[in-house]
This record gives sequence, structure tokens and C-alpha cells, in this order.
Amino acid sequence: MTPLTDSTLLSIDDLHVGFRVFEGFLDVLNGVSLELGEGERVGLVGETGCGKTTTVKSILRVLPTPPARITGGRILYRGKDILRLSRRAMRHLRRVELTAIFQDPLTSLNPVFTIGTQLRDVVRDSLAGSGTKLTHREVEARCVKALAETGMADPERIMGSYPIQLSGGMRQRVCIAEALSTTAQLLLADEPTTNLDVTIQDQILRKLDELVDEKNVTVLIITHSLGVVMDLTQRLYIMYAGTMVEEGKTQEVFAKPLHPYSQGLMQSVPRLTGEGVSEGIPGRIPNYLDPPSGCRFHPRCEHAMPVCEEHKPPMLEAGIDRRVACFLYGGE
Amino acid sequence: MKAERRADLLATLAQRRRALAKGWYKFSRNPLSVLGLVVLTIVVLAAILAPFITPYPEHARPYTNFKAASLPPSAAHFFGTDRIGRDIFSRVIFGYRFSLMIGAVVLGLSVPLGVVLGLIAGYRNGSLIEVVIMRITDIFLAVPPLVLALAITAMLTPNLTNQMMAIAMVFWPWYTRLVFAVASSLRNEFFVRDAELTGASRAHILFREILPNCFAPIMTKMTLDMGIVILLGASLSFIGLGVQPPKPGLGTMVAEGAKRLPGEWWSTIFPALAIVIVILAFNLVGDGIRDVFAVEEV
Amino acid sequence: MAQAILEVDGFKKHFPTKRGTVKAVDGIDFSVESGATLGLVGESGSGKTTTAQCIIGIYPPTAGRIAFRGQDISRRFEARSRELKRSIRIVFQDPGSSLNPKRSIKQILSVPLAVHRQGSAKERLTLVRELLEMVELPPDEYMYKYPSGIGGGEKQMVAIARALATDPALVLLDEPTSALDVSVQGKIINLLIRLRRELGLTYLFITHDLSLMRNVASEVAIMYLGRLCEIAPTVEFFQNPAHPYTRMLLSSIPVVSVEEKALKPSKITSRGEIPSPVNVPPGCGFHSRCPEHSEHCSRIDPQMVEIGPAHVVRCHRFEGVAVATGAEETD
Repeated sequence: MTPLTDSTLLSIDDLHVGFRVFEGFLDVLNGVSLELGEGERVGLVGETGCGKTTTVKSILRVLPTPPARITGGRILYRGKDILRLSRRAMRHLRRVELTAIFQDPLTSLNPVFTIGTQLRDVVRDSLAGSGTKLTHREVEARCVKALAETGMADPERIMGSYPIQLSGGMRQRVCIAEALSTTAQLLLADEPTTNLDVTIQDQILRKLDELVDEKNVTVLIITHSLGVVMDLTQRLYIMYAGTMVEEGKTQEVFAKPLHPYSQGLMQSVPRLTGEGVSEGIPGRIPNYLDPPSGCRFHPRCEHAMPVCEEHKPPMLEAGIDRRVACFLYGGE
Repeated sequence: MKAERRADLLATLAQRRRALAKGWYKFSRNPLSVLGLVVLTIVVLAAILAPFITPYPEHARPYTNFKAASLPPSAAHFFGTDRIGRDIFSRVIFGYRFSLMIGAVVLGLSVPLGVVLGLIAGYRNGSLIEVVIMRITDIFLAVPPLVLALAITAMLTPNLTNQMMAIAMVFWPWYTRLVFAVASSLRNEFFVRDAELTGASRAHILFREILPNCFAPIMTKMTLDMGIVILLGASLSFIGLGVQPPKPGLGTMVAEGAKRLPGEWWSTIFPALAIVIVILAFNLVGDGIRDVFAVEEV
Repeated sequence: MAQAILEVDGFKKHFPTKRGTVKAVDGIDFSVESGATLGLVGESGSGKTTTAQCIIGIYPPTAGRIAFRGQDISRRFEARSRELKRSIRIVFQDPGSSLNPKRSIKQILSVPLAVHRQGSAKERLTLVRELLEMVELPPDEYMYKYPSGIGGGEKQMVAIARALATDPALVLLDEPTSALDVSVQGKIINLLIRLRRELGLTYLFITHDLSLMRNVASEVAIMYLGRLCEIAPTVEFFQNPAHPYTRMLLSSIPVVSVEEKALKPSKITSRGEIPSPVNVPPGCGFHSRCPEHSEHCSRIDPQMVEIGPAHVVRCHRFEGVAVATGAEETD
């Protein structure tokens, strides 16, 4: 699918990733494709075990490769295949172009160093990667500015504090400051607010929204919370059991989900309007040791047809800027 | 009803078998661990079958034959003979019996004691009983192991039994400390809380909830400790406070032969090598056991 | 004929620490009728988990009284009767750590059975099967598995089965589905609702998810910084949310449809952070974040007032509206 802007920043092309374990081979990512245009805000929604974190780790190339194995596909960043880059080139990429926020800010920050030390390291490191050198005072000023931009009231005091002294919300703001104080063009946010209180989550998401807008950073938000992506993203991918099942403009996907899994998912969210709680989606996520043949969702799908078991459905066009991987929409 | 119980038993056994198979898989990933296991198996079997597989089993008992004294290694005597004509190879195999027995008895005494104390202290962390147990443990740990073992043996008559008791006294505090760490951290876990709130007895919580979570570090430590116990036992025998001559303790044999270096090198070197081999085997197996219990991240 | 099965009266729980006294709960009053589902809602630092912990007996109250079926139960579980331990049960938040990883499902479910029901091992085996069937987990498949071999949703169902093994009257559910995916959540919630009806249970349901509360609870109570802000029957609560914190909470919920968006209070957005419970500001605990606070709020703590049928709020803005509840005097 063509992204909404002109140039493609990141493009994942038919990625296959698996893990070698005692019981056999976990065939997790089964042909994942994704595109991010420059300046876009894209959401990747999926539940536990669907492979979204594996996808993120593949982009950053931080998968532990003894158990993990990338068995196919490419990840193109500005046209270059990340999977084929040398370690040095990859490090450079991570310094200068890519940045990430993860779910648990307590484990993302080093507990024995102050926020200031860590933030300064990040700023200096990223600038070194692009060849700029700044004085102490300039680095300091940048750090304080980055913290203030995330809405923190007293940045200087935070600089001297340790992670354990801050609340969860503040720690996550620090992580956001770290991520956005670099020269990075692509931000990968993996469940950035899942562990936070809902009122803090709301503040952080709104702030992230503002900052991303200002700095014109491209964002891929990975989450299992549909409510989070509704406001924050322009385009949406829905993932199930290592495959992309649906993509499209966020508002459209919410208004009319096409894939049976997407429909089940939307229905499962408890509504403020009080219709009661749906039964969820029957069945379990598949065992990656022996995943279902053809469409991986077919054992749980009430519309399953014989073809669904035999062939893996390709991404089919289902409207303008809309694609679904489901035989209900053609493609036999 | 009977049939249900049998089905229950079978299902439980099946589960255990699966766990064992998985454990073996993880263990066998490391070829060195497998090597250690092979060597260990040979040593244990040899020790058990000593009277049947050694060429001169009678040499392990009081025996002299000055005509065959101090012979270098040959086809008739693989490790040569000592100064009173006894075949060193046979004595070494019999010596393994002492070493393994010392290991088994010492750990058999010190591990249960140490573990129970650790469970109680850990579960009741912050109470008087914890303070008492842990401070006594600290005292025992403050004394260097060999010195402590020496002191205890010296107070009693030097013989095998007392040697084993002395070493056991050295070992139990390590297990207390190990289990204390695990137990005190598990105390506040939800599953322990739930058992407490349900009204389960203290014994149930200690032995059925907390103890199963301590198996992994205990097993790993026990395997590695076997090597240390054997070494400690050999050291005591070397000084003359353990296995007494004419019994074929490995340490005793090393001491006897040491006086004859470098001339009759075989009477010291082979017993020493035997000690090294068995300890090394235990260490390699210990590494493997640790791998078996290591939590995998996927 | 509904009678209050649980009554909490002036309940306080303080924890003395080196940095000062942590006032986890600082004076709350509520009651739960038999057969109801009370949703206790709050964010971190609100005191909701501490409240549950005191009801179940992990801690004794510092002040005030907790009564179950009219009897005072304000003490630790060690000092409670076996009958009480049987009647009040809890399902913990994190399914990962509420089941012993080294014990099989069968062994886990046998523990409450062994403590509370006389009978042989054979009888217990049958009961374990019945429990698993009750939570829709096929016994043959699940009995011999270990927690690491089953998913989060299934672990939580085992935890529920364990809680119900003693045939209790009151079940405390501490965020039972917060750690689970939304497609699994529905199954668990529906199971809980069905079991409540079939077994005549009363639930105290703790959560931060108001959308879930809307569909599960018969009554909702909001806690902030150790105090209750508002209590109301569910429908009334969502139609007329009164307390500024309640409205801030509602406005922050991520929703998925346009209809829901229309229901969210629009004029109030979240700001600020919860103060440390060691340093509770004087006056109303919420005033530092409240967009509608006045100088009065920072000095005097408000009292609960009734503003509708079974609807109480603790906020100065409503004090002129109705009469104060209980014997408290308004300032």
C-alpha cells in the first residue's frame, strides 16, 4: 500500500522470523509486510504473542540470534536493507536515525545513574554519530529543553534524580525525552503507556502527539490497546499470529473493520455506552510450533471456507487505501 | 474410583517423563557437560564394582609384598606399585569409594539441615528466629572451611566418620544462606499469600510452595559442591586427619607418595590425577545442571 | 431482602516508614449488598488494593471497622476463623505470579480443597475436575499442566477456580483482567458474571478500567489518595458524574467509537500527577490537580454529601446542594 506521503522511510517486505527451541521451531513471523512514509503516524495493533515485539526487534536488529532466525524477507530503511548491513553500519543507524521507547520505563533506564547522566550520554552519542560536537553547556541545555518539552515541571531537579525516585509517568517522559532529543527520524514506540495510569497515559499521549508533530518524526506505535491508536495514528495495521491481516486509514478501519479478527477485536472492547461485555473471540492464539495452515485465523473464524485452510490469503485491495488479508474479499 | 487414581498416577508420570526429556535436551546442548557425565558414570560404576574389576582387589586391604615394591607403571600394574608393593590402580579405584561416600554422606547431612533452616529463616524474615538462625550461619561462614574442618576433626579422633561430620558442619550454612535468599524473596509472592490466606499450614507453605522453587539452585550447588567436598576430604586425609592408612583414601595416598617425588612419581601423581578427574567431572556436570534449570527467554 | 454483606466504617490504613507515614487509606465508608458487584475504581496510589488487602486480612486496619455479615473482621488472616477464610476469597491481579510455577494445576487446586473440605484424595480429585469444568477448562487437558504451559487468560481462570473452591460468599477481584488481552477479557468477565448468578456470590471488583465497570458493576466507587470521591449506582454514575476527579478519569479513557467519545466529559482534561501519600496536601487531596478548585479546597477537607438516590460525592462544590450523610458536620 502506498503510504500517505511521498517518500517511504521504512519498508518491511515479507519478513519471516522463527525461533529454535527444545520442542522444535517456532514459526512466528509469517510474511510480515509494512510501510512507513516519512512523517506518518502509523499504528501496529495486535494482542500478546502476535509477533509485534519480534517485528520491532527485527527492525532494530536486537533479536537474540541463536534462538531467533530470520529466514526470509527484507527490511528497507531509505532503500537499504537493514538485515544486510554490517554491525558498524547498524550501530550508526541506531545512533543517528532510529530511536525507540519501550513498555517498561523502569527497565529502560539504568537504575544506578542519574537521569542527567543518561540523557547527556544519549544526546552526545547521537550528535557524535552525525559528527557534531557541542560544549558541556550546550549539551546540558539540550537535555533540559528535551525534558521541559515533555511537560515536566522542574527539569533541572529531574536531571539530578535517579529513576527510582520518579513516578512511572515521569520515567516514561524521560524515555520520550531521550528518544526525541536525538536526531532520529524514526520512532518506534512499543506499548509506551501500557503500564501507566489512565490519566497519566492521556497526558503522555497528548504530549507525544504534540512533539511528534513539531519535530516531524515518523512514528510506529505498537500496542494492544485500540483506544490508544484511535487518536494518535493516521494509518493502522492489525496483526494476528505473525501475519498482517488488515491495514488502512485509522478512522476507516475503526468505522468498518473488514477482517473477521479485526471485527472480533473491536467487538471485544468494553464500551462506555454499556452494551455489556462480548464473549471475546473463541479459541486461542495458535501454537507457533504447529501453526494452522493457510490463513492462521481460520480455526477461530466463523466465516472460514475450505480455501482458507489451504492457502494463505494475500493482502487484497478492498477500497482506496485499504487492504485485507482475507478470502472473503476475493483473491481465489 | 481406583481407576481414576491409576489414571491420575499415569498422567503425573507422563508429565514427569516429559520434563526429564526436556531437561536432557538442555543438558546435552553442551558437549562438555555430557563428557563430565560420562566420566562421572564411569567413576561411579568403577567404584561400585571395584572388587570385581580391579586386578588386585586384595591390595586395598592390609597387604605387603616387598618383592613388588616401588615398581613403575607397567602392563601388570597400570599405575605402578607403592613402597610396600600394593597396586596403585586398584587402590585408586577403591579410593573413589571413599571419596564418593564422603560426598554423599556429607551432602546428605548438611543439605537437609541447611535447607530447612534457610526455609524457616527466609519465611520468617524479620523475626527473632530469623536473626538467630542467620547470625549462627554467619558465624560458621566466617571461619575458613578447611580451618573449621580441621578444628573439629582435631578435637575428635581422626577417622572417616568424624571427618565426614566435620565437613558437614562446614557445608550446611551455605545452603541456609542460599535458601534464605530464595525463601525471603518468595514470601511476598501472590501464590504464597494465597496459600496463607486459604489457611494452609506452615509446613505446607514451606515444603510444598516455597521449597519446589528452590530446587534449581540447590541441585546446581549440590553438584558443584560434590567436587569441593571431595577435595576437602582429600585435604584432610592428606594432613592425616581423615582416612587413615592402610585404607586407600586418595588424599592419604597422595601424602604417602609425596615423600617419594620425583623419583617414584607414580605413587603421588596418579592418585592426585584421580582426584582432579572426579572433581572436574562434577564441575562439568554442575554446569550442565545449571543450564537445565536456566530460564529461557523467547 | 438484600442485606449488606460487607460494611466498611471509618476505615484507615497507615504504614509507618522512614520517610514518614504513608496514609494508604485515610478514612473510607461504604457497604456492599449481598449479590451486588461493587466496582472500586482508582489509579495507582488511590488505596484500592490496600483496601482489598485489609478486607482479605493481609493487614489489620489502623483505624475503623470492617464487618462481614455483621461480624467485625478487622484483623489479620492469622487471627481469623477458618470459616471466614473460606467465605472471603481473592483473585489477584497478576496471573503470572498468583500460581506457583512449580506446581501442577491439579496440585494448585487441591490446596484449598485439602484445607477446607474433609475427604479423601480421591474425592479431591473429583472436585478438582468439577472446578475445572466450572471454568470451562477441559480437566484431562489441564490438570497436569504447569502454569508456564498455559496462557494468561487460562491462568486467571485457574485462579478463579481456586478462589471458588471453598464455596465462598464474597470474592475480591483485584484487576483480574488488566494483564490480559481484550479478546480474552470478555470470556473471563462473562464467566465471572455467570458464576456470580449461579453461585449467589458478591463481588468487590477493583479496576482502573471504567469502560469495563460500565458493563460489569452494579455500583461504582471512586478512590483517590486514600479517600472516596464518589459512590453511585452504575447507570447514575455514568450519566451524572459529579466529582472533578471522576470527570477527569472519564475524559482520559481511550475509547474506540464516536458514540463513546460523545459520552466523555469534554471540558476537563487530565493534568498533574498524584501527590505522594506521605505528603498529602491539606484540605481536599485532589485540589492540586483540580481545575475547579478554590482557596477553600486547599484548607478544608470536604465531607460526603448525598446528591441523588444512593449517589454520594465528597466535594465542596456540592455541599450547598444537599444534606450531609451520616453524623458528619459540614464545615
